[in-house]
Amino acid sequence: MALIPLAWARAASGLLRPMRALVAQAWLREADVDLLLQVLHPAWRLNRVLAQVEGREWVAEDMLALTLRCNGNAGAWQPGQHLQLLLEQAGVRLSRSYSLTAVHGDGRIELAIKRQPGGRLSNYLLDHLAVGQVLELGQASGSLQWPRTAGAGVLLLAAGSGITPLLGLLRQALAEGFSAPVTLLHYVRSRSQRAFNRELQGLQLLYPNLRVRWAISAEPATLDELSGRFQASHLTGLPGSSVLVCGPYGFVASVRQQWAGELQSEAFSLPPAAPAAGLQPLQLQFARSQLRVTGDNASSLLVQAEQHGLRPAHGCRQGICSSCTCTLVSGAVRDLRSGGLFSEPGQPIRICVSVPQGDVVVDL
Amino acid sequence: MRQDRELSTAEQAAFGAELDALRAATLADLGAADARYIRRIRSLIRGCALAGRLLLLAGWFPPTWLLGTLLLGLAKILENMELGHNVMHGQYDWMNDPELAGRSYEWDIAGPGDFWRHTHNHIHHTYTNVLGMDDDIGYGVVRLFPEQRWKPYYRWQPLWVTIQALLFQYSVAVQHLQLDQYFKGRLSRDELRPRLKQFNGKIARQWAKDYLFFPLLALVLGANALAVLAGNAVANLIRNLWTFAIIFCGHFTEQAAVFNRSELEGESRGHWYLRQMRGSSNLEGGRLFHILTGNLSHQIEHHLFPDLPARRYAELAVAVREIAQRYGQTYNSGRFAAQFGSVLKRIWVYRLPNAGQPA
Repeated sequence: MALIPLAWARAASGLLRPMRALVAQAWLREADVDLLLQVLHPAWRLNRVLAQVEGREWVAEDMLALTLRCNGNAGAWQPGQHLQLLLEQAGVRLSRSYSLTAVHGDGRIELAIKRQPGGRLSNYLLDHLAVGQVLELGQASGSLQWPRTAGAGVLLLAAGSGITPLLGLLRQALAEGFSAPVTLLHYVRSRSQRAFNRELQGLQLLYPNLRVRWAISAEPATLDELSGRFQASHLTGLPGSSVLVCGPYGFVASVRQQWAGELQSEAFSLPPAAPAAGLQPLQLQFARSQLRVTGDNASSLLVQAEQHGLRPAHGCRQGICSSCTCTLVSGAVRDLRSGGLFSEPGQPIRICVSVPQGDVVVDL
Repeated sequence: MRQDRELSTAEQAAFGAELDALRAATLADLGAADARYIRRIRSLIRGCALAGRLLLLAGWFPPTWLLGTLLLGLAKILENMELGHNVMHGQYDWMNDPELAGRSYEWDIAGPGDFWRHTHNHIHHTYTNVLGMDDDIGYGVVRLFPEQRWKPYYRWQPLWVTIQALLFQYSVAVQHLQLDQYFKGRLSRDELRPRLKQFNGKIARQWAKDYLFFPLLALVLGANALAVLAGNAVANLIRNLWTFAIIFCGHFTEQAAVFNRSELEGESRGHWYLRQMRGSSNLEGGRLFHILTGNLSHQIEHHLFPDLPARRYAELAVAVREIAQRYGQTYNSGRFAAQFGSVLKRIWVYRLPNAGQPA
């Protein structure tokens, strides 16, 4: 229950600056300040971004579009960027990344969530998230942007939920008067998965420079549809010099292989894990140190970080003291003590007993 | 003293594997109930602190002053032990909640959280009861085991211990400054300076809160500032005495063992478990007593599994006791009065150089 409207909390956000300074200097505990703000409005916090669900709409059989209104702590977000959506389940704060399909000036944002087979968070959100509910967001990031020099036209290639960032960019570009030809190809398994198809068909009528085509892989295609997975011939004759591609790793990789021109891409999944046969080289990224190195799946992240000149805080080096705890941004690690696998983004891990399993990004 | 069976390397490995399995089973079972519990504890602490501080605004009237002081002391005890100590061990890191993240939590006590994470989580928990490595053995001013080399000032240690108990929060805070090392020239001024800055900053914030802000607030509200000041000071004192008593019972009871550095060489996980079990001692009592000790009454389980939520120690204790028995290890456990009595006896006996010299 809210004692004040969210708009007041948004407006008052700037007034909390002295409070933020006190918290930063450790004179106040952020959790205690947040408790008071939370009493006034469930989405109000000192620094963290929380948002209230204002609308939910099915845009495909397996995709739900959400409209959220953020508290005053959201940064200068852009459509096409992605952010973490966090929700607690069974005591654990889970987070998943979703793309912004729209950013409005009044704190409203839109994003879309696709049902994932066995997905813990996505399926819960689709089935249970109600209008009025409050959830937490991370700050948005991502560098995908509408091509600046696209006189010859833009080609948008999306597979599955890859439609979401491209739709965000497309809506914004059209609204801002982009007039060169734009072609959107959306690859889906079945016709019922053509997310946002009504809106896209409406946009085609409104903007003559936009053309949308769907490619269906699991059903027979009709005349105006493409058939099967991506192939270079799908691009022949299309006006455009600049490609934006979004989707699973395999889709993005095959477009990259077959398009030699200007290209921006975003992949939603990791490359398939190499068969577990002994020592594997892999990519390690230490985010805070801005260091990317080639590592292996044999020694702990602490040892590998030290081999590359980093000096992470640590203590016992055997998983007891938790001095070396840091955040796993993405990827999977195995705990040397239990053999357990951890792949929850945002999870604290002890790097002295965590061995990477595939490419890993840690906040170190 | 203790009657422990020596374990072969293979037995040590099996002993370790059984405890590892226990740990894994608990980890797999963590969930909403644990999250709800720690948040309820936090709400209870906030409630006690608020009620205590409000009651103290009523001035010297004995019923309100005493109750207010006790509630504030209780809030500090719970915050330091069941919430702060346990959260800072990373016991609730699996929740991914930044408010309960072990690496950043700051507790309501003089010692900075970062100091504690080093001296306690790292040094004390890794080198538990190893002479010359675990500074928690007597904190440098008390001789508790005959194996500690006698020094003349130990003669007066009952007095030193009393002072330490009264000022326990400062005694814990000062540990990481390693002033002894500094005066021996083993710690440079440049190494000490940043620690001093952190130390001073934390103490300034603590004092400003308890001895400046709330008394001044009372003054502004027309209440008795002196009563508030005294209440806050006594609440801190109550917490000091209680935490001192519980912590000294953890490793210095009659049957607690100490170790030499040589035992650390090439130490296996099984041997580490064994050392934790032999060096720790439990206190028996009701559910409320366990919560008030931050579940450090289950010191053995805490040392075997420092990063499992402490509310699980009671159920783990049943299995640990059974494993200890099967491997012929003494499970050092007793009532609070008896265990604390044996600690006081050590303090009294080992003040003299020749008392209890190992034969």
